[in-house]
Amino acid sequence: MTLTELYCLMPIVITGCAALFVLLCGPLLLSSSLTAIGVTASAAAGIWAAFTAPAPIQCIPGLAFTPLAQLLIPLFSFAAALTLLLSHGYNERRILKGEEYPATVLFALFAMCVLPCATNMLILFLALESVSFAFYILVSMDLNRAESGEAGLKYLLMGAVAAAFTAFGFALIFTGSGTLALSAALARPENRAIISAGWGVLILGMAFKLSLVPAHLWTPDVYQGAPSPVAAFLSTSSKVAAAALLLILLGHFPPMTELRVPLAALSVLSMVLGNLAALRQTNIKRMLAYSSVAHMGYLALALLTGSRDGYAAVLLYGAIYTAMNLAAFGAISSLSFEEEREQLTDFTGIGFSTPVRGGVLALAMISLAGIPPTAGFIGKFFIFYSALKGGIVPLAVVGILSAAASAYFYLRVVAQLYMHRTEAPAPKPVGFAEGLALCAASAAILVIGVYPGPLLEMVETALR
Amino acid sequence: MTSLIPILSLLIFLPLVGALLVFAVRQSGAAARLLALAFGLAEFVLACAPLALDRQAAHFGAPAGFFLYQDHGWIDRFGIRFTLGMDGISLVMVLLTAFITIVAVIASWNVKERQGLYLSLLLALQGAVQGLFLSLDLFLFYLFWEAMLIPMLFLIGVWGTGRPVYSTIKFFLYTFVGSLLMLLAIIALYLMHGAQTGSYTFALPALMHTTVPYQLGLWLFGAFLLSFAIKFPLFPLHTWQPDAYCDAPVAGTLMLASLLSKTAAYGLIRIAYPLFPEASRALTPLIYVVAVIGICYFAWVAFAQRDMKRMLAYSSVSHMGFVALGIAAWSPVAVSGALMQMVNHAITTGALFVVVGMLDERAESRDLSDFGGVWGKVPVLAFFFLVFNMASAGVPGLNNFVSELIVLVGVFKVAPAAALGAFLGSVLTLIYTVRLVQEVLFGKESKPTVLAEVSLREGSVLVLLAVVVVYLGVHPGPVLDLFKAPLELLLNK
Repeated sequence: MTLTELYCLMPIVITGCAALFVLLCGPLLLSSSLTAIGVTASAAAGIWAAFTAPAPIQCIPGLAFTPLAQLLIPLFSFAAALTLLLSHGYNERRILKGEEYPATVLFALFAMCVLPCATNMLILFLALESVSFAFYILVSMDLNRAESGEAGLKYLLMGAVAAAFTAFGFALIFTGSGTLALSAALARPENRAIISAGWGVLILGMAFKLSLVPAHLWTPDVYQGAPSPVAAFLSTSSKVAAAALLLILLGHFPPMTELRVPLAALSVLSMVLGNLAALRQTNIKRMLAYSSVAHMGYLALALLTGSRDGYAAVLLYGAIYTAMNLAAFGAISSLSFEEEREQLTDFTGIGFSTPVRGGVLALAMISLAGIPPTAGFIGKFFIFYSALKGGIVPLAVVGILSAAASAYFYLRVVAQLYMHRTEAPAPKPVGFAEGLALCAASAAILVIGVYPGPLLEMVETALR
Repeated sequence: MTSLIPILSLLIFLPLVGALLVFAVRQSGAAARLLALAFGLAEFVLACAPLALDRQAAHFGAPAGFFLYQDHGWIDRFGIRFTLGMDGISLVMVLLTAFITIVAVIASWNVKERQGLYLSLLLALQGAVQGLFLSLDLFLFYLFWEAMLIPMLFLIGVWGTGRPVYSTIKFFLYTFVGSLLMLLAIIALYLMHGAQTGSYTFALPALMHTTVPYQLGLWLFGAFLLSFAIKFPLFPLHTWQPDAYCDAPVAGTLMLASLLSKTAAYGLIRIAYPLFPEASRALTPLIYVVAVIGICYFAWVAFAQRDMKRMLAYSSVSHMGFVALGIAAWSPVAVSGALMQMVNHAITTGALFVVVGMLDERAESRDLSDFGGVWGKVPVLAFFFLVFNMASAGVPGLNNFVSELIVLVGVFKVAPAAALGAFLGSVLTLIYTVRLVQEVLFGKESKPTVLAEVSLREGSVLVLLAVVVVYLGVHPGPVLDLFKAPLELLLNK
C-alpha cells in the first residue's frame, strides 16, 4: 500500500481509529469531550472524502475510493455527526452514560465508509452486516427502558434472518459469476437462472433493510423503542447504505427483467400500505416509521426504472431523506424529557412555546410531504421524473396519489404544533449541540429545496 | 430602465423580504402593522411602474407580447430556468394582487393574536401569488402554485374560527391531490417535448410547440383541469370552499376568494388552454355544463344560507362560474370578459367579505337573523354594504355588470344555451342579494344590538374599494385594452 492509497482510504482510517480511541480512552474522558471527538472525527472523514479525487485503483484488495464513496462518505459522516450532537443532550437527560455509545456510532460510520468503497462482494456483505451489527447495539442501548431492549431483540432476530438471505443471495451470485471481485464478475448467459435466483434472495434481504412491505413489520417497533437519535441515524444512513449496496451491484450486473415484477410489487405495496398505515398512527415515531416505509417505496420505484436517471434519483432522495428525517427525529429527540415525548398530543402548541424546535419539526413535516420550496419536493420531483421517463406510468400515478394522501398525517403534526388552543408542557431550553444539529439539518432542507444544482451535480458525478 | 432594475424579481422578492422583516419585529404589533403596510404600498407602487413603460417595445429575447422579461439559469440538470415575463394580463393580475394585499393588511389591523406572524404570512402569500402570475417556466409556476398553500394553511389553521383545523386540512388536501397529478402531467409534457425537439426545457413558450397525441392530450389536459378546477372551484369539486372561506380570518378569506381563485383561472388561460388546444376544445362542453350548473346551483344554495359569510362563499363561487364560462368559449371577447370578471370578482367579493368582517367584528355574529335596521344605525357602513351588494348583483354602472355582460355576449355567439343558463343564474343572484340587503339594512332585528360606525381606517378601505368598483363600472376601457394584445397572441396560437 502506497501513500496515495492510504490517502484515499483516510476516511476509513480516521473513523476506525476514532472508534477505537473513544472505546479505549473513554473512561478517562468527559462525555462532552467524547462527543466532541466523535463529531470531529466524523466531520474530518466527511470533509476528507469530499475533497479527495476518486481513484480507480484498488488500494488494498477489495477496497477502492470510488466516485460513489466520494458522495456517500460525506453524507454518512453528516448523519453520524448530527446523531452524536443530538445524542449528547438526549443521553444526559436519560442518564445514558458510557463511552460505548459514541464508539458504536463511530463504528457504524466506519462500516458505512467501507461499504461504498467495496469492490468485492464479500467486503460489501461484511460492511453491510457490520452496519447492522452496530445498530443492534445502538437500538437496545437505553437500559432504563424495556422497550429499547425489546426493540433491539426484535431487530436482531429479524436482522439475522435477513442477513442469512443476503448471504445466500451473494453466494448464488458468486456461483453464477465465478468470482467475488465485482469488476471481474460477469453475468454469463448460461448462468442466468442462478444469478437471478441470487438477485431474488438478495432483494428479499434488502427489502428487510429498506423496510419494504411485506418485510417492514419490525420498523415501527424498532423506531418506537430505539432512542430518538438512534432512530434518526437508523432511518437515514442504514437505508441509504442498503440502497447503495443495490446500486453497486446493479452497476455490475445489469438489471434482470425477471426482477421487475417482484420489485414493482414491493414498491407499490410499500407506497400504498406505508402511507395508509401512517394515517392511523397517534404515536409520532410510529408514524414516521410507516412514512419511512412509504419513502423507501418511492426509492424502489426509482430503482425499478433501471436507468441512470433512476439511480441518480435514488442517491438524491437518499441524501434529502437523510436531512429530512434527521430534522424530524432530531426535533423529537430534543423536545423529549426524561420520558420520551412521542404521542401526537404531547406536541400540542409546541410550535409557539418553543419556536425553533417546533419550527424545525414543522419544516421536516412539510418537506416529508414534498411541498416546495423544501428539499422533499425536489426529491419527489426527481423520483417521479425518473419513473415517467422510465415508462412506469401506472406506478407513478399510484405513488403520487399515495403521496397526496400522506400529506394528511404530516399536516396533522403541523396542526398539532400550531393550531390548538391548549399547550403541552414546554421542554427545557435547547442545548448548543442539539441546536447546532437542528440548524444544520434544516439549513440543508431549505438550501437543497431552493438551489439543488450542486447536489444534483454531485449525484451525477457519483454514478460516473 | 427595464434592464437596469429587475422589476419582475423585485415584485416577488419585495414581499418576501417584507415577510421576513415583519416576522423579525413580530413582538410589537404596531411596528409589524406599519411595516407590513409600507411593504404593501411599496409593492403597489412597484406594480404601477410598468404602466409607465412603452408596452409596444419588444423586450430582447422575450417571447412575443411580453414587455418585461427576465431569464436566469437555475437548475441546469433539468433545464429549469428562473424565467419571468409580464404582458398585459399579468400586469393587471399583479396590480390586483398588490391592491388586494393592501386591503388585506388594513383589514387585519385589529387582529389580536400574533399579529406580526399573521401579517408576515400574508406578505409571504403575496410574494408567492405574484411569482405565479409572472412565471413563464412551468416548473417555477408549479413551485409557486404549491408554495402558496403553506402560508394559507397557517392563516386558516391558526387564526381561523369555527373548525379551523378541519377546514384548513380539507382545503390543503383537495388542492394538493389536484396539484400532484398536474405535476405528473407537467413532467410528461416536458419529457415529450424533450424527446421531440432534443431540448429539455420547462419554458412555457417552447412547450406550446409540442405535438401531443390527442388521447394523451386529453389525460394531460384533464390533470391540469382537475388541479385548476379544484382551486377555482368548479362544481362538483367545491366542497372544501365554503368551509375554508367561512372559517378563515377576514384577510385569509380575502386572499382565498380574491386571489387564489384567480390563480386557477389564470392557469387555465395562460397554461392549460394554450398548451392543449385540441383537448381543451374536446372538453369545452363539460366546462360549459359545470360552469352553468355552478352559477345557478351556487346562487340557489346561497339563497338558503343564514350565515352571511357562508352565503358570500357560495355567491363568490357562483360568480366565478362566469369566468369559467368565458374561458370555455375561448374567443377574444369572451376571454377578455372572463379576465375582466376576474378583476371585478376580486374587488367586489373581496369588498363584501371585508364589510361582513366588519359587521361580524361589531355584532360578533354573522347570522342574518341577528341583523336588521343597519341602515338606520350605521348609515356609512350600510351604504357601502349596499353598493358592493349591488355591484355583485350586476347593477349597471358598477363593475360586475360590465364583465358579466361581456362574457354573456361572447358566449352567446358560440353557445347560446350556456349563455341563457348563465343569465338565469344571474337572476337568482339578484334574488338572494336583494333579500340579503333587505334583511340586513332594512329588516326588523330580533334583538337590539348597538353597532359602531366605521372608523377612519375602515372607511379608507371601503372608499378605496368603492372607487375601484365605480371606476371599473363606468370606464373599463383601459383595463380591457391591456388584455387585447396578449389575448390575440394566446388565441391565435
